[in-house]
Amino acid sequence: MTHDYWAWSMAAAALLPAVLRAATPILLAALGGLISDLAGCINVGLEGLMLVAAFFAVLGSVLAAYWLPGLPPVWHAWLGALAGVLAAMLLALLLAVFHLEWGADLIVAGIALNVLAAGLTVFLLSTLVGDKGSTASLDTPVLPALHLPGLQSWPQLDLLLNGEHGRGHHLLLWTALLAIPLLRLLLRHTRTGVWLCASGEHPQAAAEAGIPVKRMRYLALLVSGMLAGLGGVYLSMGYLSLFQSDMTAGRGFLALAAVFVGARGLTGTVLASLLFGASAVLSTRLGAAGMAPQLLYMLPPVVTLLALVAAGARKQGRAHRSS
Amino acid sequence: MKQATALPLQQRLQRQQALAQRLRLPVALAAGLGCGFLIMCAVSSEPLRAFLILLTGALPRLHWSAGEGWQLTRLVRFGAVIEDAITLTLLGLAVAIPFRARQFSLGADGQLFLGALAATVVSLYLPGPWFVVLSLSMLAACASGFLWGALPGLLKTRFQANEIVTTLMLNIVAVQAYRWLVSGWLRDPAGGFIVTPFLPASLQLPVLLVHTNVTVMLLALPLLVWTSWLLLMRTTLGYEIRVVGQSAAFALQAGLPVQRTVWLSMGAGGVLAALAGMHISHGLLKRLPVDLPAGLGYEGLLVALLARCEPRAVPWAALMYAYLRTGALAMERSTDVSREVVLVIQALVILFLVAERMQPALAGGWLRWRARRAEGGRHDA
Repeated sequence: MTHDYWAWSMAAAALLPAVLRAATPILLAALGGLISDLAGCINVGLEGLMLVAAFFAVLGSVLAAYWLPGLPPVWHAWLGALAGVLAAMLLALLLAVFHLEWGADLIVAGIALNVLAAGLTVFLLSTLVGDKGSTASLDTPVLPALHLPGLQSWPQLDLLLNGEHGRGHHLLLWTALLAIPLLRLLLRHTRTGVWLCASGEHPQAAAEAGIPVKRMRYLALLVSGMLAGLGGVYLSMGYLSLFQSDMTAGRGFLALAAVFVGARGLTGTVLASLLFGASAVLSTRLGAAGMAPQLLYMLPPVVTLLALVAAGARKQGRAHRSS
Repeated sequence: MKQATALPLQQRLQRQQALAQRLRLPVALAAGLGCGFLIMCAVSSEPLRAFLILLTGALPRLHWSAGEGWQLTRLVRFGAVIEDAITLTLLGLAVAIPFRARQFSLGADGQLFLGALAATVVSLYLPGPWFVVLSLSMLAACASGFLWGALPGLLKTRFQANEIVTTLMLNIVAVQAYRWLVSGWLRDPAGGFIVTPFLPASLQLPVLLVHTNVTVMLLALPLLVWTSWLLLMRTTLGYEIRVVGQSAAFALQAGLPVQRTVWLSMGAGGVLAALAGMHISHGLLKRLPVDLPAGLGYEGLLVALLARCEPRAVPWAALMYAYLRTGALAMERSTDVSREVVLVIQALVILFLVAERMQPALAGGWLRWRARRAEGGRHDA
């Protein structure tokens, strides 16, 4: 009995970090999508923002190592991560300027942004690295993991908080978890957050009340660029330690789906991101059990579709009851 | 007094708007190409040569030699432009119709894969005279495209599931189902790599231009474009699609069947995407490889946006895009610039094209500048 309990708790403690690792990029991008959605700007370009950040993080760290060889390698990784996030924010700014200043349709511009990012990364990759597939030939530094000491006496907790082999979780994984309460604080307890939500809820009324709607939307799109950028950096400097063409593989759209499934709430979005991370883990675990790979690749999109349907049905049920 | 001042202002505004409308596409194209050139300058050692090849590489070349006189070469390459343009026109129409209803359906990819698959299965396994089998293949392609297109529409009307996300997810499902079936059930054991058997020669679409794969699809194309235009502009469904696209709330108030319009528009797009798939399977490749590249649907999206979702403009946009793509292939072979720069250029063109307020602002500035210069000239004289 106790042995069973022990084995189960260890398995659960090992599974959760795997789910978290798979969910982190989706979660970061979904938080970005949530904040811009709350400000009334649906950000379809999350995928492109992640892709650009992942690429420029690798490029930035390689260039930093080339230009500043004196620095310790960890600094190269940090400079690269900064470059990645800045690139994503720059692209988000482009989207914001085109939409807010020049009246471009937000969804069309967001789709164009994804195409731009896919083209630009492969173009620069093949021109600068000479390989269209990946930056495997380059030596990419990785952002460090955070190891929490002093947990040896609680093996489950140690496995949960430090992962397998006690290597610790990636820094950006903790950042993603930390971003949840920070975002809640921002949205609920600061003036900026309230203004931001008001600009999304009813832009005319907000403008009448003296809220700078346009500035709030700029802010929201920039923050979503930053968060999606962090998600992208995690992909190329944590999940893997290189850039591959199209390495986001639809995670930006899963993040968008997470916002919808989560009914534009913080808790719902986080739970939906975790669900998508879990479906990715499940598909790799089933792959180890010898199922046809093509069927396994269908699992995450099918889970997403079912989640969207369930969220829609739930919303409808609620509307039905209240009417 | 008031009249006298109001009239010139009105006239000026009208002229400003007319100029902005006329300049819109040329300015967007020039801006996109210009930005592309700047990016090429930043990374290439011979940007000017690369840019020229990009712009002229797809043209057939007329040249003279003493032995053989005037000769037209690179016709095969130009044939490739036309093959590409046919696929892109069909995909462009497939995206344009739901976009007119403001349904951002990105599912052309999945519909293309399923359409090609359905047509190939029917052609390979159904016995009978060629015209029966070929029309049944086309019917199967259209039906699968319609179903796969209407499904996200139904999910949207029934469950408010965002169509951008659902169509992308359905794309993955369709592409993986295609790969599963081609690598398992349909695989030709003598094929060498994973591929279906060749279609019977009688079922391949007849070729119009020798040494290329330009098939009778080219002749069917004007008909399809015209039908799409007719559907949008001259039928009740088309009217409903346009009204829903302009304002769904208004359409609902006016008593139009908004939900039916939404899924029907997406299903109609699916039919055209499936026909693009059949063009690929029965016209271009004659068989289906397992690694048929995904992502063509997005290029159809670019074409549709470039044509501003106007069916009659779609073939020209497709031709232009196919021309640039083929030029980009030539550029990639002979310079250090890779062909993906075309995606960047295209995305920028679309950004400039949809920036509604950018060009009126620019046109206003230009007219003001001209007026000031004319005034200055008068002062000088």
